[in-house]
Amino acid sequence: MTVRLRIVGGTVHDPANGIDGEVRDICIEDGHIVASVPDGAPTIDARGMVVMAGGVDIHSHLASSSCNHARRLLPEEHSAEPVTAPALVDGDYLPRSGTGGTVPTTFTSGYRYAGLGYTTVFDAAVAPAMARHSHAELEDTPCVDGGFFALMGNDEYLLRQIAAGERERARDYAAWLLGSTGAYAIKIVNPGGIEAWKSGQRNLNGLDEVLTTHGVSPRAILETLADAANQLRLPHPVHIHCNNLGQPGNVAVTLASMQALAGRRAHFTHVQFHSYGGPGWSSGAAPIIEYVNTHPELSIDVGQVMFGPATTITADGPVEYLLHKSSGRKWVNIDIELESGCGIVPLLYKDKAAVTALQWAIGLELFLLSRDPWRVVLSTDHPNGGSFLSYPALIQLLMDRSVRDEKLKQANPKLLAGSALADGLTREYTLNEIAIITRAGPARLLGLRQKGHLGPGADADVTVYARNADIAQMFSTPRYVIKGGSLVVEEGQLRRAPAGRRLHVRPGYDDALLPDLKRYFDAYSTVAFENYPVQGVPDDPLPLSP
Amino acid sequence: MSAAHQVEHVTCLGCGCGCDDINVTVMDDRIVDAIPACPVGRAWFGDGSVPWEVLQGGKRATLEHALTEAASILTKPRGSLLVYLGPDLTSQAQRAAVALTDFLGAAVDSATSDAAAEGLLAAQRRGRATATLGEIRNRGDVLLFWGVDPNRRYPRYLSRYALEPAGTQIPNGRAGRFVIAVNIGADKGPAEADLTITLEPSEEIAALSLMRAAVLDHPARDQSPNLVSAIGLIGRLTSARYAVLVHDAEPTELPRNPLRVEGLIALAQALNGPTRAALSSLRGGGNRPGAESVLTWQTGYPFAVDHSRGYPRYMPGDRGLDRLVRGAFTAALVVGSPALAGEAAAALGGIETVAIGPGASRAPFTTRVAIDTGTAGIHEGGTAYRMDEVPLSLRPPLTGQRSTVQTLEALMDAVRTKRPGRSA
Repeated sequence: MTVRLRIVGGTVHDPANGIDGEVRDICIEDGHIVASVPDGAPTIDARGMVVMAGGVDIHSHLASSSCNHARRLLPEEHSAEPVTAPALVDGDYLPRSGTGGTVPTTFTSGYRYAGLGYTTVFDAAVAPAMARHSHAELEDTPCVDGGFFALMGNDEYLLRQIAAGERERARDYAAWLLGSTGAYAIKIVNPGGIEAWKSGQRNLNGLDEVLTTHGVSPRAILETLADAANQLRLPHPVHIHCNNLGQPGNVAVTLASMQALAGRRAHFTHVQFHSYGGPGWSSGAAPIIEYVNTHPELSIDVGQVMFGPATTITADGPVEYLLHKSSGRKWVNIDIELESGCGIVPLLYKDKAAVTALQWAIGLELFLLSRDPWRVVLSTDHPNGGSFLSYPALIQLLMDRSVRDEKLKQANPKLLAGSALADGLTREYTLNEIAIITRAGPARLLGLRQKGHLGPGADADVTVYARNADIAQMFSTPRYVIKGGSLVVEEGQLRRAPAGRRLHVRPGYDDALLPDLKRYFDAYSTVAFENYPVQGVPDDPLPLSP
Repeated sequence: MSAAHQVEHVTCLGCGCGCDDINVTVMDDRIVDAIPACPVGRAWFGDGSVPWEVLQGGKRATLEHALTEAASILTKPRGSLLVYLGPDLTSQAQRAAVALTDFLGAAVDSATSDAAAEGLLAAQRRGRATATLGEIRNRGDVLLFWGVDPNRRYPRYLSRYALEPAGTQIPNGRAGRFVIAVNIGADKGPAEADLTITLEPSEEIAALSLMRAAVLDHPARDQSPNLVSAIGLIGRLTSARYAVLVHDAEPTELPRNPLRVEGLIALAQALNGPTRAALSSLRGGGNRPGAESVLTWQTGYPFAVDHSRGYPRYMPGDRGLDRLVRGAFTAALVVGSPALAGEAAAALGGIETVAIGPGASRAPFTTRVAIDTGTAGIHEGGTAYRMDEVPLSLRPPLTGQRSTVQTLEALMDAVRTKRPGRSA
């Protein structure tokens, strides 16, 4: 049976198609946007409301073994926020209870993302050996299409290829790894630094400091994997978490990393955490965003810090150790064989803490000094800078200067002297710019041609917001959310919870890789080469870039 | 008689080691060989024969009738229900069972032992510093076995992961590792140790505390000779490139101080100041860590969860089997092997119990409904988690007649026919 729907009379913000606030109907047929549907199709009255494509989260931590270790660490958060199952209309979906906090259970995460109008989410850091765990969690995360980025850049086989100058083999290996694990993109976390942490070198602090175990530098890792992603025509370029996250003065290594990849397509993530002046604490946002503004091959997401509870979850083991020592909070470290690591420390970001106030200001500066919203994506690095549930509050900070200034007055000013935010940034984001940084931009940067817009052929992922002078309120309670043509949120209530699609790629590679890789597995891996690939990933990889 | 055939790269769930290099020989639907499985592994595989019956009130029934009866039992109004997850379930079956638990508003508990639960609770208070088994193999140059000899219950732990194999940073294998055994009373470390010290059980917790103090540069004075030798180990550990502490997270015959695991967690964390270190927790067979993983991502808690209020509640101090024995439940669903004995089995026999799993029809307690299914990794494919929480692929050497996941999904359909809405 053909399912049709017409969203009538809403004010449409569809920047990918050049539509900025025009009143028009959006028509849906069988899960896709179409130019028109026959008269008599069911309708949604969106008159006076704002219509956008479903939100696209380019960088979250919601479905991974690391997230699950964080969940297990936080029973106190879960006890404080039990979640009953939603009242769904259709018998097709089993409504599930769960628990919230900074790292909610999977079903609750899916419901809450949909409740914000987000319909596509990527987990940004999955150790390939743990990929089958992420697939299982994503299967239990309804309402959103999802995928994950595979961690590379501290993996033994790759480091060996780089050390040997075998960059083509490194590329083939990256392709094999993506296809074998059902991943979507290449993610680098602290290039070389995790291996340094595991081997006793503790960390790498500069782009040309080499790993004593392999003689490989972060620069070589960045170049190899950036080239691999581009040569493999991956829809999303290499996704980079730079060295020295969270350290004063790290703006230098961040800029050097961007310069190292000059001319190559690359995405730098949670850049707020990498934009600190030094040697004391100061804002380094201006030089970073200026570099991004003038280099169209680069994109970033911000990783905004929001005041309130957070949980830091990262493969960047050394930074979590430092956070544990400085905060005194409980700490998890898990070294993951031959590939990566995992560190977890819960945190509370207080506006009265000077460094936190600076982090908050730096994130906003990155947004407000950006000249091309298509390359600057909204993120909090959920749950590292704050929960994804704080996105509406962040949108309000960007759109409403009075709210922003009020928050700034309450924040500790000690380290803000000389920052652009303290000097007064008057910019207020428009609805169209919000549509870019929350859906159109990330969809384009991810190479998702059917996401982030409302043109014919796009996936029917649509969010309808009732206007509200309180911007945070408006974006936290969409009136309608449609996912793949299914009316997920109706009159502000979650009503349906369809399973999402898995977003993954399967690039080709030279089979000559395999005998060498098998020898390596036989020598060092505790999982058989034959058992390593994830079974059951749907046979529907997304197309590579043209 | 049919010809024998081989199934390669089978994952063994006999203990938590999760060895996935087993070559299983099958003849006439029976396992006749499993190489290089250890004695624990060979006992796990057996010949793979399990019953395939469906019983209702102890008599043979059709699956459809049995599921309808099971659904009636599990949806009775004003009842209180326990779902128990046995050790030998795939994570796919665990997910289906927890979905039923959630829908039915039941309490759920698992084969996570009380000893393992102590470790989970200690890690919730402190966090932990650990590593997957391959890190131990590739980096561990000083290994300390705290009151455990893995050869007894985890026979291939030393040969596959900890002691003998060469690793990326340990090119000479055994010769590149220094092994310390700490005997705690009768809990002895491995005979292969390069250095053995002995502590009385009464000294154990003090030793852990003083060792941690030594790592943090707080020297202790006037200690007994045993404690002095324990503190003396810190020099070895801090001069390691990668120190590994190994303990048995499962219960043994001997009583154990519940503070042991917290002391080891704290010591392993502290060692990450002067060097790198990890605590390796030995876990039993089946897919116990899988149950903890599934429960955590679906409910937020790793064991002892109660859904009776319509949302997950954590009840680690009052676990499902304890409440069962106290008479807190009117019905139970036992999923997986019904390997419960003593008071728990007696209590299950006294209430309306549905059993679904390998050997359900031969449960050591009276069942209202029993549906035999296969064993994870022997008849059923899917995922199981190793003791270090690495998810492994299962290649079942035998074909079962009825899968646990499909049976649980059919039960869910039958339950939702009886009770379309949620109980909450």
